[in-house]
Amino acid sequence: MVWKLRRPILIGFGPAALGLGVLLLVAPTAPALGFWWLAGLLMGFILQRGRLCFASAFRDLFLNGSGQTMRAVLAGLMVATLGFGPLMARMVPDPALGLLPPRAHVWPLGPNVLVGGLLFGVGMVLAGGCVSGTLYRIGEGYLASLVTLFGILIGLEGAAFSWNWWWLNGMARAPLVWLPAYAGHLGAWLINLGVLGGLFLLTHWWEARRGVPALALPRPPGPPALTFGQRLGALWQSLFGRAWPAALAGAALGLLNIAAFAFDHPLGVTGELAGWSGRLFGLLGLRPGPLMGLERFSGCNLVAEADAPVVSEGFMLDAGLIFGAFTAAGLASEFKLRVPRRPRRYLQSLAGGILLGYGAGIALGCTIGAFFSAIPSLGLNGWLFGIGLLGGAWVGVRLIRILA
Amino acid sequence: MRLDVRGEICPYPMMRTVEALGRLAPGEVLEVLTDHPPALATIPWEAARRGFAVEVESVGPGQWRLTLRPAGGSVDPARAVQEVLRKAGGVG
Repeated sequence: MVWKLRRPILIGFGPAALGLGVLLLVAPTAPALGFWWLAGLLMGFILQRGRLCFASAFRDLFLNGSGQTMRAVLAGLMVATLGFGPLMARMVPDPALGLLPPRAHVWPLGPNVLVGGLLFGVGMVLAGGCVSGTLYRIGEGYLASLVTLFGILIGLEGAAFSWNWWWLNGMARAPLVWLPAYAGHLGAWLINLGVLGGLFLLTHWWEARRGVPALALPRPPGPPALTFGQRLGALWQSLFGRAWPAALAGAALGLLNIAAFAFDHPLGVTGELAGWSGRLFGLLGLRPGPLMGLERFSGCNLVAEADAPVVSEGFMLDAGLIFGAFTAAGLASEFKLRVPRRPRRYLQSLAGGILLGYGAGIALGCTIGAFFSAIPSLGLNGWLFGIGLLGGAWVGVRLIRILA
Repeated sequence: MRLDVRGEICPYPMMRTVEALGRLAPGEVLEVLTDHPPALATIPWEAARRGFAVEVESVGPGQWRLTLRPAGGSVDPARAVQEVLRKAGGVG
């Protein structure tokens, strides 16, 4: 038992202590930075232990007919909706007046959202992970995910350069559709929960129709836990010995999103990367110039963060995510440098990343910001992006089969 | 048969295992070496659908050996699944 703990102590407890140390150091002077660092750590932990991969949620529906990961995502969306509704009702007591909750992810319902979702959907299947998936896998030691991240930065720069085109072609005149403005707070909240519940059942129908058995593989019985030490060992096993049930991880991410919105704004990981992209390519003299219409996006600065300070709230969230996943992987003895042996995987990861970055850039967010935070914000844009993701994943599954 | 899918990105560890299962001779055992944690859930699931029981064994940090054995001679898929569930031990 003791020798088994040596490695987790070195690359698990060490980073855990460091992560908490940063929190204690930052939080007293800059509470917001501390909050987003903690949120990032928790997010990385949840994604790593729950293997909560948005790419696989969409992809597996077509790859092997499984709706299991999608149900975990839907569970998270339902939990987040439960909390977002009351929060927004407090911000905007009368939704019929045309005001929107200031930081909710309600964005123009233009063709850019659908096209962005499609490209993002193809990219996430090609790269084997979306933006949050790429970040948490970097923490686990996947070299291919670093290549994908570089692709994402390239794609985001491309999106910044074509931003004005998208703005002039649809986005400028696209309506902001916030459901409570039409159905009232309670009505919109119930409709959202009802549709999510319906989709939950639909995944079961999808599996049944395709003859996919609902397989809950049995867990091997552990050794009997009699002493306190053995019980602690069993507890450790359920936290770090095996993956958390996906639906539990989805619900935990939904709760984290409520906490983030209650603190200031819902989760979103790509806006910060747009800042990295702007800085990186700015060094090479590539600057897209003034972007149109940004004043319409008070809650989202996807393409405007290039001038922000390096250590921003978004930086703390993304860095915390990578570090949280690294810590969780270390504690679970799952950290390993993973180097693809087939050369085509590097190209595939890069190309997937470029599609992810471009898609997120024009759609104003990724599976987190434009989907996982937008649907509970009761904006129709989240649903449109989701439809795009579904179509893109369908195309992506065909592509990865060819590239096998 | 032995299959080394270490270093592969998602979801190729699972896809290549499924493909290898199709090439097995009757009664043959497939041994898969992987470093992709999600495959610990997806491979046993895909194997069970095809009538194979899986044993998962940790062989170092972030690495596992999965042994896929034909669960029995049952042809009825429902019974094959039952059989696999009965025999599937060590699912990570």
